Amino acid sequence: MSQVVGIDLGTTNSLVAVLGDDGPRVLPDPATGARLLPSAVAFLPDGQVVVGRQARELAGAQPFDTVLSVKRFMGLGVEHVTDDDRRRYRFAEREGALRLVVQGREVTPPEVSAHVLRELKRWAEAALGDAVTRAVITVPAYFNDSQRQATRDAGRLAGLDVLRLVNEPTAASLAYGLERGDEGIVAVYDLGGGTFDVSILKLRGGIFEVLATGGDTRLGGDDFDARLADLLRRELPAEIREHPQVRAQMLAFAERAKWSLSEGEQAEVALALPNGGEVRRTVTRAQFEALIAPLVDRTGVVCRQALKDAGLKASDVLQVVAVGGSTRVPLVRGQMQAVFGRPPLVDLNPDEVVALGAGIQAGILTGGQRDMLLLDVVPLSLGIETMGAVFTRLIDRNTTIPAAARETFTTAVDDQTSVDVHVLQGERELASDNRSLARFTIPVEPQPAGVPRLEVTFLIDANGILSVTAADLRTGQARSVEVKPSYGLTDEEMERMLEESIDFAEEDVRQRQVREARVDADTILNATRVQLAKHGTLLEPGEGQRIQEAVTALQVARDGEDYVRIRDAYDVLSQTTEPFARRIMDSSLMSAVEGRPLEDL
Amino acid sequence: MQTVVTGERPCWRCRVDTAGALVCPGCEAPQPLASDADLFRVLGLPRSLVIDAADLERRYHAASRAVHPDRHQMADAHAGALAVGASAAVNRAYRTLRDPIARARYWLDLHDVRLGDDNNRVPPALAALVFETQEKLEELRGANGDAALRQEIEAVHADLASRIAGFETDLETQVVTWERDGVSAAPATLADLKRRLSEISYLRSLLDDVDAAVGA
Repeated sequence: MSQVVGIDLGTTNSLVAVLGDDGPRVLPDPATGARLLPSAVAFLPDGQVVVGRQARELAGAQPFDTVLSVKRFMGLGVEHVTDDDRRRYRFAEREGALRLVVQGREVTPPEVSAHVLRELKRWAEAALGDAVTRAVITVPAYFNDSQRQATRDAGRLAGLDVLRLVNEPTAASLAYGLERGDEGIVAVYDLGGGTFDVSILKLRGGIFEVLATGGDTRLGGDDFDARLADLLRRELPAEIREHPQVRAQMLAFAERAKWSLSEGEQAEVALALPNGGEVRRTVTRAQFEALIAPLVDRTGVVCRQALKDAGLKASDVLQVVAVGGSTRVPLVRGQMQAVFGRPPLVDLNPDEVVALGAGIQAGILTGGQRDMLLLDVVPLSLGIETMGAVFTRLIDRNTTIPAAARETFTTAVDDQTSVDVHVLQGERELASDNRSLARFTIPVEPQPAGVPRLEVTFLIDANGILSVTAADLRTGQARSVEVKPSYGLTDEEMERMLEESIDFAEEDVRQRQVREARVDADTILNATRVQLAKHGTLLEPGEGQRIQEAVTALQVARDGEDYVRIRDAYDVLSQTTEPFARRIMDSSLMSAVEGRPLEDL
Repeated sequence: MQTVVTGERPCWRCRVDTAGALVCPGCEAPQPLASDADLFRVLGLPRSLVIDAADLERRYHAASRAVHPDRHQMADAHAGALAVGASAAVNRAYRTLRDPIARARYWLDLHDVRLGDDNNRVPPALAALVFETQEKLEELRGANGDAALRQEIEAVHADLASRIAGFETDLETQVVTWERDGVSAAPATLADLKRRLSEISYLRSLLDDVDAAVGA
């Protein structure tokens, strides 16, 4: 069987890793050697989809059609979209799963995410020299059921069998545990591009037991950038301030400024305006820190709550592990130190540690890493809506998963033919203040009110995903359960998207062939140019002309989209230059012979 | 009602006798939980109120290693589903048994004693304390950021926490005596335990209220 890969599907960057004989390793882009794939997806007017660094660069030119952090929208509905989101993207005003509008076409977040996963799958296949069909994907620990389902759907759309969803901080703890072998209480502080998580774990004898977790799925380094970009934009003339291109450029500048402020005390920002003008200014670290301090403070509150939920004090924590690129910000490191009373451990690359952990979990699942076991928890309480729109908890937050709860239901009126169960997730008292996950309809035989007795079992699996089964207590027979996800894709939608994704995969294969043909074309064009310059004297009359024609033909084909034509033009050039190449070989052999004494031959 | 199976419990996959273990000793397949298995049995313990915390954790870790779905990922769907169910039971057993209060409540459940609705009523012994605390909390909500009042509430918080700790220690010594005397299921003992549990859970929810008020 082919290897199972571990994927860190991040808000800003994504990575793929695998567990090898000498530990986990990140698999790079076969073309460039890059280890981080920007989680950016650009939809071009001609229907093409570009992923990664190139897509990121397109954000300035086509801001609405380039999705920079789709993870923020996973498992949401249109009512969860903020005003700021609306300034950056277009959304379809529809119920159920959120839909972005790109190039006039509606796409769901799992479909956008699947493009990123497909690219990582390709990287992994190139590195491993084998098909990759199974993966472990990481999610923020604080992701709710809908967000997890959406991530799993994205995997399926990318042609991956998602064996397990692992929480990012927990995955990081696996990499950390394997590396250091410490035992005791460990706090993982994970501040990525778009999400914040903290997990308190107990490491003992190879068991990684999560005691408590907390987080905010809409808090990350992107928010730091946004605050800084807003500050800079406010200083611009009103007429260009709201220009989408200016917004996108400002965000990119803010991000770069943030990076340099992690090292230095001030950063220079220069921006070319669409009206031909230019803006230059200096941002100091103190200014930046004042902007982000309220956000960083919020992470401290979450950490203290997690400690309390774990029944621990800061002094019980043996080690604090910093995960996520945003932990490079000095103010964030200061916050970790303030909460836990010790500086964070930073010897593992904060960008890679989650992916490495996902690779280890892939090894655990396939039996390659038998001594380690992860016991994770559900981040948010799960319950149902009961009389008076009240939320009744069935499974408390921080309960170790898998977890099950049973509840008995009956009918309220005579001859009722079904029982509806509304499942929600959250910590609030009123049902409407929590996140609706799904409505389950269970059919019953018509009987007087209160007679039917249905036992409903709520089961949260090791992925943190809920399933519901029902049985008639009087007959002992299982009952069917019809699921209506509140913000997820229905089975029919998934079916349709899977079909489309197969079509897309064909298109993807075509694009890859174009790309590869272009690389080969560039290689031979370059070699021909070099050899002509070096060995032009070896050309026969008329040969130079013929080669030049073949070169031009290949250059034209290379800039087109037809890979067959590129291959054909490649073959023509290759054949045309063959006699010339043979002569070069002969002549270099001759010159080698000429230079040497006779007895050496 | 299913009768308790005595003697052999063959593995559903390889037919080896599993002797009621969570996983088959022969082929490691997770087994369906026995119909008579309570949370003590799930972790291989007798129905006792007295439990050694370190031993409980060891049993929990060993059981998790055996049944967790991660260990049965490559097996068939049936084994996978059984692993999820068994793992959920093991997790519930640990969660319930490691907390002396939850353990005692569960133990009462097994003896068909319900704490029932009167659990929500203020236990007479605590009436004065509850009244006083609620009044202070009310005042604190009214007067924004009164430092003196806040200090008072923090003192109440500390008092409640130490009372709960005292009750818990007391309960633990009591259950040791009961177990030793072998009167664990005597009606008077059950009534006494029930009263103590009511008081502790009332104090715990009062402490939560104080926490919420102080945190706000």
